[in-house]
Amino acid sequence: MRILIVEDEPKLAAAIKEGLESEIYEVRLARTGEEGFFLVHSERFDLLILDVMLPGRSGLEILRQLRAENFRIPILLLTARDSVDDRVEGLDTGADDYLVKPFAFPELQARVRALLRRGVPEAPVTMKLADLELEVSSRAVRRSGNPVDLTAREFDLLEYLMRNQGSVVSREMLMRDVWKETMRATPLDNVIDVHIARLRRKIDDNFDPKLLHTVRGVGFVLRETIP
Amino acid sequence: MIRRFLRHIRTKLILWHMLTVVSVVLLYSSSAAFLLFHYLREQLVRHAIQDLETVEGLLYIDIDRNMGMHEDYHNNPESKAILERLLEVRSPDGEVLYRNALLGNRSLGGPPFPGEGVGGYSPRTFVMEDGLSVQLVSRRHTFGKTDTVIRVAYSEAPLWERLGEVLAALLIPLPLVLVVTGFTGYLLAGRLLKPAHQMAQRAEQITGSRLHERLNVEQSDGEFAELAQVFNGMLARLEQSFHQLHRFTSDASHELRTPLAAMRSVGEVSLQKHATADEYRDIIGSMLEEANRLTRLVDSLLTIARADADQIVLNPSRFTAFRLVEECVSLLEVLVEEREQQIDVQGDRVVAIEGDWLLLRQALLNIIHNAIKHSPLHSVIRIEIAHTEHNRVVITVRDDGPGISEEDITRIFDRFYRVDGARSRDTGGVGLGLSITKWVIERHGGAIRAESAPGAGTAMHLEIPAARDTGEEAAAARTSTNGVARRDSH
Repeated sequence: MRILIVEDEPKLAAAIKEGLESEIYEVRLARTGEEGFFLVHSERFDLLILDVMLPGRSGLEILRQLRAENFRIPILLLTARDSVDDRVEGLDTGADDYLVKPFAFPELQARVRALLRRGVPEAPVTMKLADLELEVSSRAVRRSGNPVDLTAREFDLLEYLMRNQGSVVSREMLMRDVWKETMRATPLDNVIDVHIARLRRKIDDNFDPKLLHTVRGVGFVLRETIP
Repeated sequence: MIRRFLRHIRTKLILWHMLTVVSVVLLYSSSAAFLLFHYLREQLVRHAIQDLETVEGLLYIDIDRNMGMHEDYHNNPESKAILERLLEVRSPDGEVLYRNALLGNRSLGGPPFPGEGVGGYSPRTFVMEDGLSVQLVSRRHTFGKTDTVIRVAYSEAPLWERLGEVLAALLIPLPLVLVVTGFTGYLLAGRLLKPAHQMAQRAEQITGSRLHERLNVEQSDGEFAELAQVFNGMLARLEQSFHQLHRFTSDASHELRTPLAAMRSVGEVSLQKHATADEYRDIIGSMLEEANRLTRLVDSLLTIARADADQIVLNPSRFTAFRLVEECVSLLEVLVEEREQQIDVQGDRVVAIEGDWLLLRQALLNIIHNAIKHSPLHSVIRIEIAHTEHNRVVITVRDDGPGISEEDITRIFDRFYRVDGARSRDTGGVGLGLSITKWVIERHGGAIRAESAPGAGTAMHLEIPAARDTGEEAAAARTSTNGVARRDSH
């Protein structure tokens, strides 16, 4: 999978590149709109990550041009402006997704994964991690074969973590995808932390290895080994 | 801009002033001339009548029935007028018996009309064939056996001449009058507008950094004093807004600086020592936490900036206040359980609100979250929904917390204000929650009020208009429960 990042801020570009390369992706960087435009035409990419505010030609112009030329490649826009109008303009111009700076890196990973996975069938009905099993249809959870009794919210939380197992999910992602909270400023961090603590008590406390880990400053991850 | 406007007003004032004076002069002159003309004409008629009587005595008929006139009248003082006299004598059937030399063979009207000169003088204005306008009087007179009609006329020409002279005398100074009025108008307008000019001058000197300056209010200036007061009121409000903005900017910078400082020192200190991978992980995590706090702060600041600029569009829907409260309570329920507290919801379950669900939910979440945070373990948080007079909903959230001092209570809705700075910063607050809440409630046409005393807990009253047509339903529901509050424990 090849990804092109068009971003003029070198630190951010390098960080995203490194982060994505640590997964399975091959990443190219472009510093300006023109360079990005040239690369898109000369090489083949599976995904374009495009900053809106670029020196020279803006990201939106490039996006418009590419769509006018019938490039069907998925495009993820990055921008520092997050008013509803900007968002609508970006999506109307033909972007597939939209991420507001500053964003949590796990969020970007999740969006990239989602965009590249488009059209691929949904996650399996039963998910497994070590001896933790989750059955989506019956909403049943077992650890070492013992049923675990979860509340509805705890189940949703665990299901989300299982789907993203191995990668870190941020509090914002949980807030948006599990709590369906659209306002960024809603004070739900404590609520999320309490739910995580309870979930951990139920699935991890009496078992080894520990599966649910807190990554300080970033979020939570479900995996066998400590990152 | 203001000066040009004032100059415009001044020109207008001068023009109006001149126009008024000129119209007065014209009106006065023309009515005076008209009166004079009328008076002179009456004089002329009276004179003609007197003259007619004189003429009667001077006319004679000789034996051949020829009419003559004694012209031995010349040393009379009125001889001059007599010389201008036009005289015609006719028989009742129209035969011309006599015309004087001045009249020659011109006619003073055709045959006498019935009743002409009978029992009076029949004074009238007559225009002769050659266009001369005259005042004409007639009289029947009998010489022996001969009946006659004597007509005496005087030309109006001298009258018109006199009128012209008078009008000229009245109107010749008009240009001078115009100049004088223009000048006095200029002075008058200048005097009237002087306070406005002074105000404009002063107002032009007032800038953002000199907003404390005020316009002079002199009582003698009447309306202008009022205007100056209005402007001063506006300046005071502007100054206050500027002040608030200034404070907001400096508070915001301070708040932004705090996490930045933390991030920086954590980074710098950790680079000065050797640490294990786990320690570095922890250090980076700690820096990321600060970065998250900054992100959150900037988000809140943007929300406030948009709210201030009125860029947040409400997305109204209809829901009951009870559902709003339930939603917030269920979201925060885990926190309550964790602290072994209880939330007790009472009151009106039917009264509806028409408002932005997400914004109102965020506002109420802030309030309830605060109550949970500040209430001691094992305590009860009471939420009451009331449908009050004037169709308003009051949601009251009461906690058993430490309460707020009188000094703090007036400022808790201020931006960045924290009753207990250090502690709420630890719990992740940035001191903007309540001010955003206040904005949301006010944007919905409501009001928020805090009621508290140290040691006595805090009650927050959120008052918002109820949806318009729920008045009756809700009132009916209220009477049916007969004022008994329903309890709902969690």
